[in-house]
Amino acid sequence: MNRESGPRYWRSLDELARTPEFQEAVQREFPDDEWDRLPPATRRQFLKVMGASMAFAGLTACRWPAEKIVPFAHRPDGRTPGVPERFATSMELGGAALGMVVTSYDGRPIKAEGNSLHPDSLGALTAIAQADILQLYDPERSRRLLYRESGQEFVKSWEDFTIFVGERCAHDGEGISVLAEASSSPAVSRLRDRFLAARPQARWYEYEPISRDNEREGTRLAFGKALRVHPHLEGARVVACLDADPLFDHPATLRLARETAGARSPESETRSRLYVGESTYSLTGARADHRLAVASGRVPSLLAQVAHLLAAAHSIELPDAAAGFAGIAGSPGDEREARFVEMLAADLAAHHGSGVILVGPRQAPAVHALAAVLNQALGNAGTTVTYTADPEPERPSHMAAITELAARIRADEVQNLVILGGNPVYNAPADLRFGELLEKVRYSFHLSLYEDETSKLSTWHLPAAHGLEAWGDGRAWDGTYTLRQPLIEPLYGGRTAIEVLALVLGEAPFSGHEIVRAVMRESAPAVDFEEFWRRALRDGVVQGSAWDAVEPIPDPSGLTVALDGMRILLEAGSPPNAQRPELVLVVDARVHDGRFANNGWLQELPDAITKITWDNALLVSPSTAREMGIADGEIVEVEANGASVELPACVVPGQARFSLTVALGYGRTAAGQVGNGVGADLYRMRTTGAPHQLSQPKVRPTGRRYRLAVTQDHFAIDTIGFNARNLRVADLVREATLDAYLADPEIIHHHDHHPPLISLWKDQVFEGEQWGMSIDLSSCIGCNACIVACQAENNIPVVGREQVLNQREMHWIRLDRYFKTDPSLAPDEVEDAEVVFQPMTCVQCENAPCEQVCPVAATQHTTDGLNAMVYNRCIGTRYCSNNCPFKVRRFNFFNYHKDLKDTTQMQFNPEVTVRSRGVMEKCTFCVQRIQAVRIAASNDNRPIADGEITPACAQTCPSQAIRFGNLNDPSSEVSRLREDPRSYATLAELNIRPRLHYLARLKNPAEGAPTSFGEGDAHGKESV
Amino acid sequence: MQSSESAREEAALYGYLIEFDKVDELLAAAAKVRDAGFTRWDAHTPFVIHGLDAAMGVKKTVLPYIVFLAGLTGAAAGILLQWFTNAFDYPFLISGKPLFSLPANIPVAFETTILFAAISALVGMFALNGLPQLFHPLFRNRSFKRATDDRFFISIEAADPLFDATTTRRLLESISDQPVEKIEEGE
Amino acid sequence: MSTTTIDGMSYLDNTGDDPRERARLIVGDNDFASITNTVCGVVERPKPPKIWWVIFAISSSLTLVLLAMIAYLVTNGIGVWGLQIPVGWGYAIVNFVFWVGIGHAGTLISAILFLLRQRWRTSINRFAEGMTIFAVICAGVFPGIHVGRIWFAYWLAPIPNQMSMWPNFRSPLLWDVFAVGTYATVSLLFWYMGMIPDLATLRDRAKTKVRWFFYGVLSLGWRSSNRHWHRFEMAYLLLAALATPLVLSVHSVVSFDFAVSIMPGWHTTIFPPYFVAGAIFSGFAMVVTLVIPTRKIFGLEEIITLRHLENMAKIMLATAMMVGLAYSTEFFMAWYSGNQYEAFTFMNRAFGPYAWAYWTMVTCNVLVPQLFWFKKLRTNIVALWIASVLINVGMWFERFVIVVSSLSRDYLPTSWGYYRPSIVDILTFLGSFGLFFTLFLLFVRFLPIVGMAEVKGVMPQAHLDRPGHRGHGDYHGDIAGTEVVS
Repeated sequence: MNRESGPRYWRSLDELARTPEFQEAVQREFPDDEWDRLPPATRRQFLKVMGASMAFAGLTACRWPAEKIVPFAHRPDGRTPGVPERFATSMELGGAALGMVVTSYDGRPIKAEGNSLHPDSLGALTAIAQADILQLYDPERSRRLLYRESGQEFVKSWEDFTIFVGERCAHDGEGISVLAEASSSPAVSRLRDRFLAARPQARWYEYEPISRDNEREGTRLAFGKALRVHPHLEGARVVACLDADPLFDHPATLRLARETAGARSPESETRSRLYVGESTYSLTGARADHRLAVASGRVPSLLAQVAHLLAAAHSIELPDAAAGFAGIAGSPGDEREARFVEMLAADLAAHHGSGVILVGPRQAPAVHALAAVLNQALGNAGTTVTYTADPEPERPSHMAAITELAARIRADEVQNLVILGGNPVYNAPADLRFGELLEKVRYSFHLSLYEDETSKLSTWHLPAAHGLEAWGDGRAWDGTYTLRQPLIEPLYGGRTAIEVLALVLGEAPFSGHEIVRAVMRESAPAVDFEEFWRRALRDGVVQGSAWDAVEPIPDPSGLTVALDGMRILLEAGSPPNAQRPELVLVVDARVHDGRFANNGWLQELPDAITKITWDNALLVSPSTAREMGIADGEIVEVEANGASVELPACVVPGQARFSLTVALGYGRTAAGQVGNGVGADLYRMRTTGAPHQLSQPKVRPTGRRYRLAVTQDHFAIDTIGFNARNLRVADLVREATLDAYLADPEIIHHHDHHPPLISLWKDQVFEGEQWGMSIDLSSCIGCNACIVACQAENNIPVVGREQVLNQREMHWIRLDRYFKTDPSLAPDEVEDAEVVFQPMTCVQCENAPCEQVCPVAATQHTTDGLNAMVYNRCIGTRYCSNNCPFKVRRFNFFNYHKDLKDTTQMQFNPEVTVRSRGVMEKCTFCVQRIQAVRIAASNDNRPIADGEITPACAQTCPSQAIRFGNLNDPSSEVSRLREDPRSYATLAELNIRPRLHYLARLKNPAEGAPTSFGEGDAHGKESV
Repeated sequence: MQSSESAREEAALYGYLIEFDKVDELLAAAAKVRDAGFTRWDAHTPFVIHGLDAAMGVKKTVLPYIVFLAGLTGAAAGILLQWFTNAFDYPFLISGKPLFSLPANIPVAFETTILFAAISALVGMFALNGLPQLFHPLFRNRSFKRATDDRFFISIEAADPLFDATTTRRLLESISDQPVEKIEEGE
Repeated sequence: MSTTTIDGMSYLDNTGDDPRERARLIVGDNDFASITNTVCGVVERPKPPKIWWVIFAISSSLTLVLLAMIAYLVTNGIGVWGLQIPVGWGYAIVNFVFWVGIGHAGTLISAILFLLRQRWRTSINRFAEGMTIFAVICAGVFPGIHVGRIWFAYWLAPIPNQMSMWPNFRSPLLWDVFAVGTYATVSLLFWYMGMIPDLATLRDRAKTKVRWFFYGVLSLGWRSSNRHWHRFEMAYLLLAALATPLVLSVHSVVSFDFAVSIMPGWHTTIFPPYFVAGAIFSGFAMVVTLVIPTRKIFGLEEIITLRHLENMAKIMLATAMMVGLAYSTEFFMAWYSGNQYEAFTFMNRAFGPYAWAYWTMVTCNVLVPQLFWFKKLRTNIVALWIASVLINVGMWFERFVIVVSSLSRDYLPTSWGYYRPSIVDILTFLGSFGLFFTLFLLFVRFLPIVGMAEVKGVMPQAHLDRPGHRGHGDYHGDIAGTEVVS
């Protein structure tokens, strides 16, 4: 930095710039300082946190003597090092807190799992929430306060900031604005209120690029006030998802997945049937019994037609105010659409009170309003869908908020802008030009995990503390009070939004811990707060603190507005064509809104449908691609709203015609080494007017090719492979309709044509515990949570795009995705296809083909029936992988851990070997967990109880599709499932005797619906 | 005593060498020497001449039996090795197969059989022939060099009990008109 | 010397099939001394011909490339190759099988043809055995370096270790270690033993002390004693008898690497005979490829005659037909078994992404050899040479098709892949040729490339000079030598 120029600009900090502390700070935190090396202080500090976690044992941490965090499982009277502890905490994403339990080794949090007491988690966790722990250890996280002035950077301390912001914001708040992320935290709202009370002139805005505001505004239209919608699917016999994806993008998605699985199981009486109308394949769409690929712009019309039919054909009474909806039948589409609407309307009418209509967050409020009205009319409200009051009814929608802020900045009414998290420069609507506006603001303070796009344009950058480093609170989607406790001292001296807010506000308490306690004390029962606090910490939630449901009353005035809204939508909603295709911007399953772009686990996570890693692509349907002259893997130039973006095209069946889909959150420029330049940034064409659907994008094929790093063969391959695959799917992923199955439970075994399976030798007898697994293909929704769980548990490396292109990805469990198409079609005739998922990991064959071929016996069979892999014996002939019919073995072609930074290594699970170069590795059913339980059991010599051992994948599966247990124990869950008529083993005809069995997938189509492709194609084996 | 001094003066003599340039001459000569009852004598030819063994009355070698035994040893060793390593010393469960089963062990046993037998064949041949023997009195004779090229020789050792400096020389001269050469014993 | 037509060209032609006139194995006006002179001349000439230097320069630098590639591999890991999941074996294993296959001709000629009394073998067996050794050396390079942790490759051998663990004898790879190891050893013994009398010849002709010492030591003091010859012949016979089953077993065991697995396209019972036929096929092709230039350069046309070449062409034709039969049998079995995976694998070979490799293989291995039905082409040296080179190419592709195309698409379509070799793969492959030719050129330069003693043994002069026996050079002189002279 240029010291001379310092004084000239700096009066208040003039002396400071000369103080030794400051000099020392400059030395220590100099920009080109070795990034991965931790500041030595930090190591000491998290040893202190170990101390902190020992507080209960009477030890006292050197700092924060009063702060106590409590292990979840048991009170540690004298904790022993090396014994993992589990703490309940939570993660906040998009305004809802998700409860989780984090395993910590000697003060190192290493793995996040769901908190079974939390209503939105029920013990499961999403892929993103699990991968968040890698973010904690990301060496590229910001670790210094920066002050920018006339193109120069000054490294500052929190003290500097306090002084500075104190001087700036000590008045009535004139010209002060705060831009915050969506937050459910009572602490935040309390501080906000205090702040606005103390600074009446200040303004508070909330912006989130991905939100459910449309739904919220929809309820405002329908019921006159903002309500929060809570679907309940366990009893829902008919679920209609219109552009909605409850199994992926809902804050309570884990609960909904669990409920869906239950409602679809043949044991349950519900026999749920799922209708999905959507423009691109979603997880819910993949699960649908009836799916209609329809342009996103057609969805309002679809719902209108349903409403019309319900009223006209099925005499459903709409409330007077909403009666108008019955009149406006949308323009009829093709007969596929008509058929879908008829069946759906009939089914909804037939299941009064046990159906539900869900509309996705990308649809306009009016559509949500109509859905709400119909749910009322069908008597679903109160049963399959309930409402609670919105916690912040007065809050304007995020779009409105950011727009207003922009306007005020443009009008020079904002001199000081405090940005608490978020990355508006990157993800604010493009038409606001937020980047340019930010530079108009005299002083902007940006708090964030990374020095991201926004930080680079702010005058102050403040490093944020990661969720696992800080105290905090929040509320579940249903309002349940959720606590967050730190598992480690902030690695890089970051602070949380509430702490910064306290500084800005300039009133104690300043420590997050104190703030949270203070807030909680208000809501806590008078009796013994300490006890209450302790239990809350242990549970991670305050039981029974959910909001009460409210009885919504239709609001005539709102509904008329909604009605007009619908009319406009219907006029616009004519089907797109080659001249005017529609472009739909969707939230990404991996990087979310882009904030997880620097997370290797998520970047390398294959997209559920396309299996693309390390990229986003323009999804087009085969026919659309043909008619628009786009080749698969060709780079296309998309131009809309004055911005033009180049990205590769990916041809997928099941995509609505002339509806193009791209995921947001890519093309980051300041995400970090991992995320920079991955994919294309579509925020650049996202406007306040059209945040989700771009009506008339120009799409130009460039003729240049690009290899997308997909982990699975693309669906369009040479004819031979294509036909072979169609023949095999029916065998590999067995499927039947619910009715057919109930009529003949053996139906899925009609596939078995192999001769009796006899060995040449006397078969091995397996005594004692024999581990086995069962995966229910009916429940699996393809959410990828198991993959991340496995990656975190087993120290599985991230290999990067290059290696994925070489087909060297390392995931031990993968989700095989098959497109089921009409076998009579040629590859280029396929337009639509069903999607089925099959989680595939080592099936632990009893007669394992991999074992016999290993020359050094590096893979052998254990006495409890595991196909064990002895890493330190392996010399890497790769023969085992060649001879594995499932190709689930993974090889370390390079030393993938060589370049890992110290920090990242802190995430490693000490129970699992970190494999080196030249060694084969594979799923072990989480043998370390098996052993841990076995040791514990033998210590207090008792048998291992059923369900006591859960592999990482099974533990986190939201729909509990994966079950694990002892096959020799007839009473165990897994033995019971083995007896289930749906149970079958893939490639059993090879007489390899897999220990992993699948439960056949059941579909529940309405009568008279076309049966799916490959259905009961029992004779696939015979044909060539 | 007379024999003793004759022995003394001929102590330095290794034997006689006589050269032929035609195969049939050699064969005829060999037959004569054989019939004369000599035992410590030899024929030297650049290549194998069929019938010469008969003409010399060479007994069939025992080599085949050595090789046979070695082969058996090899087979036993192969089987034993596999049983000891995989079924006895460090048994482990592989693909649900029995710890020891013959079919899987045949290939290796077969190879060890061949290996042992082959090595014994070569080593046995060397041993029986007393090779390697880098020096030999015959090498002193210049013309003997052609024994590896295109000439044939017969040598009779002085160590032969029937050997007598004069009579043996006469015998050889009667066989062929080639000069009979004395070969000196190396000191 | 028997009847000789003195017109310049045709006296070299001994390919006549007239049953009344037994064809001569050695043509031209040769006696023992002239044979010795011609063969030893190759080694004794003060300077090798220019062409030798040229080829040596190229091949030795390729050898350096091989070493460089191996160093690069060891420092960086298997990832520098094009391998992946599902295709865990690629060039390395293909090259291994390719070289081992070539390594079959030598022992076959020396052993099997020996037992079958094919006396014409004498002119080419030394040469072919040498080639065998070098091919096996090249083959041996690959299994060693293709493992992920090369520094632990010795765990393949059953040596006591601190882990007190033993290798797994149920693994075909281990059978390979033993088979190839034994084969290399026995071939070496066989080769060396047959060379001893000729080394003695070189010793006796040595002009310089160095040569005298060098060959003297190598020939172990051989003094061409008939009593030695007797045991020598017996040992040779025994080795031949042992090497014959061995040579058949080696490629059978190599084929087990594939046949014992459960991969469609690998799991086939016809592999052993199929592989052995292929090995002999490629082995002879390589002999022809090498021998044609060599005999020209060192003027050995009178010893390695047109008839030898023609005989080898016939053998190539025969083995080509066997290989072709194997190809079609595979398809038949795939269809007849009714196993959808098996069926797909072969359809995929012929019409899938690797069709180009498959049809290259068929063209070179089945169609090209059909030329040998015509004597004109069998005896046309240029045509013969080109064909032999093409066959080598085809046989390499055969192994490529078997290894790669089968792996690339196995049971689960979701794990299908497409293998592309990396530049390191290709350079390593070329490097192995460098090593092969370097060793071969050194052999040609310093060791007798024709078994003189054996060749002399099949010359007319080697036998009783009696009426009626003239010119029946290859009729008499049975090794066992039981004929009693009256």
